[in-house]
Amino acid sequence: MNALILGLPSKGRLQKQVTQFLADNGLKLKKTSARGYRATIENLSGIEVKLLSAADIASALGEGEIHLGVTGEDLLRETVAKFDTKIALLQPLGFGHANVVVAVPKAWIDVSSMADLDDVCTTFHLRHHKRLRVATKYKSLTRHYFAAHGLADYRIVESLGATEGAPASGTAEVIVDITSTGATLTANELKVLDEGIILKSQAQLSASLNARWSVDALKAAEKLSSRITMRGKARAAQILRTALER
Amino acid sequence: MSFPQYDASPLKVLDAQAKATLAIFAKKKYQRVEPSILQPAYVFLDRSGEEIRRRTFVLNDSNGTELCLRPDLTIPVCRVFLENGAKAPARYAYHGPAFRMQPNDPSRPVQFLQTGVECLGELNEARTDMEVLALAAEGVRASGLSKFSVQLGDVGIIFALIDALDIPLLWRARLKRHFWRPDYFKELLMRLSGQGPKASRSYLGRLTQNETSDARAAAEGLLDHLGVTADKPIPGGRTREEIIERVLEQAKEEEAPHLDKRQTALIEKVLSVRGNARRAVGTIRKILSSDEVDVGDTLAATAERIERLEKLGLDSKQIYFAARFGRNMEYYTGFVFELWARDRRRQIQIAGGGRYDSLLRTLGATKDIPAVGCAIWAERVLAARNASGAVK
Repeated sequence: MNALILGLPSKGRLQKQVTQFLADNGLKLKKTSARGYRATIENLSGIEVKLLSAADIASALGEGEIHLGVTGEDLLRETVAKFDTKIALLQPLGFGHANVVVAVPKAWIDVSSMADLDDVCTTFHLRHHKRLRVATKYKSLTRHYFAAHGLADYRIVESLGATEGAPASGTAEVIVDITSTGATLTANELKVLDEGIILKSQAQLSASLNARWSVDALKAAEKLSSRITMRGKARAAQILRTALER
Repeated sequence: MSFPQYDASPLKVLDAQAKATLAIFAKKKYQRVEPSILQPAYVFLDRSGEEIRRRTFVLNDSNGTELCLRPDLTIPVCRVFLENGAKAPARYAYHGPAFRMQPNDPSRPVQFLQTGVECLGELNEARTDMEVLALAAEGVRASGLSKFSVQLGDVGIIFALIDALDIPLLWRARLKRHFWRPDYFKELLMRLSGQGPKASRSYLGRLTQNETSDARAAAEGLLDHLGVTADKPIPGGRTREEIIERVLEQAKEEEAPHLDKRQTALIEKVLSVRGNARRAVGTIRKILSSDEVDVGDTLAATAERIERLEKLGLDSKQIYFAARFGRNMEYYTGFVFELWARDRRRQIQIAGGGRYDSLLRTLGATKDIPAVGCAIWAERVLAARNASGAVK
């Protein structure tokens, strides 16, 4: 395997944004497989593009199945255990902005900080004989953030869609979810806590430190990053070299 | 992931260890029980915090009911006691596999053997604490390991100190919950003594400047204003009254006296004590007597435990005490201990135990039932024996 393997989103808004971003940098994808899951980049040789879902790009980077990938930082940090040792963030791309936040019912006028939430977890447990439930698809981010704020007395309920509706439908009390404008939270009578922003996420060009980096792959990565790094500064390539040398 | 798979030779040694340890437990009238390996998941998941939950193997049966592989044997043994309607006091011994995911260290096995005891409903706490500590030490010895150290702790000392503080109940509860997280605990102390970043002021504080008589009216007004009326259900499981009550508590907290610097200094001084057990207890006694704080008989109990261990022939240099030491498993309520030894590479914990007086009630008992127990990690004992050359 000598070619550089680049994972790009295969669907949704992120896919459109990536296509636009490549076009802005004078790059164009050319599909090579009939079903459209493989492509190359016109004018850039040595790069094999795999079109994957955003979540699959995150895990493929973690496993080292692809060299480079474009996906949301939230998915990378959530999906890949020991993220720092496996992935290098090379370049924030300026789109796909969203925050991962802790939100509680707006009626909870007694709760504005994580310390308040900690108290409520404990009194809720005593009063209702069950643990306060947090609905989220970001299980790992939630655990780390809550642990950092000293919260232990809660329980995560996995939610794979319409998380913001969990408090209203009675499947959880609190949510950790992604939001870009906050409008969905407001519509569901929820509010973000004062210290409730877990991560300010955006799409990132990232490199897998677990992938097998041949000399050719590294050269192709440098070529690609010099094309898409702002004003041609090869900052991303520098980060990649340093990370691989560690 | 690491799966232990044994062939004849380690199996023979592990079986012999278990037999010898169980014989020690049987001599003290501990009855052998064998709880189910597969357990209803909610029993563990509702009781343990998220930290244990993420390490518990959960699976579903075809109806979608959540089951789990027991992450330890304490809760399963307690369930045997409750579901069989056994009479207190009851003494149980067990030996069998437990299962935990190892997200932080894939080299650790996900299945391991635990040999242990639980003593439930015995009212003489000091005596049973020592009984169980002695059984752990003797059990490890019977399995062929004589060189190990003992780490003692007692949550009761710090809890008594916190209880003696003239601060609101909620603050005390908060301090107790977090005493084993050094950084966070320090931040809390700073905040409660008004030195650190100010705790977020409640809405009420802003609204009423703490005119408590108006606090309820203000809270209700604010809720009405937000469209949260008494006749409408609130998303998220808490009632309107529950929220108002806590707002009132917050208002009271803001009026309450803050910790003075002398008090925070005292707590930090005690918490920093660690080292040789005899010396550590002496140091804490000195600190407390100069400040005239009474922590009941927890210190005397620790001194007795040390003596008891020495009588068992343990080297007093191998007995340690740390005021901060409390096992980060939420059900421990007082005395805790760990036994440590060396395997080929490093110090490893080979046994652990402690007192957990409120667990049985949360499992369905009608009142608190005093309980204390310990578990020996059989494979780790074997690893330590191998390192010391005890196994041929």
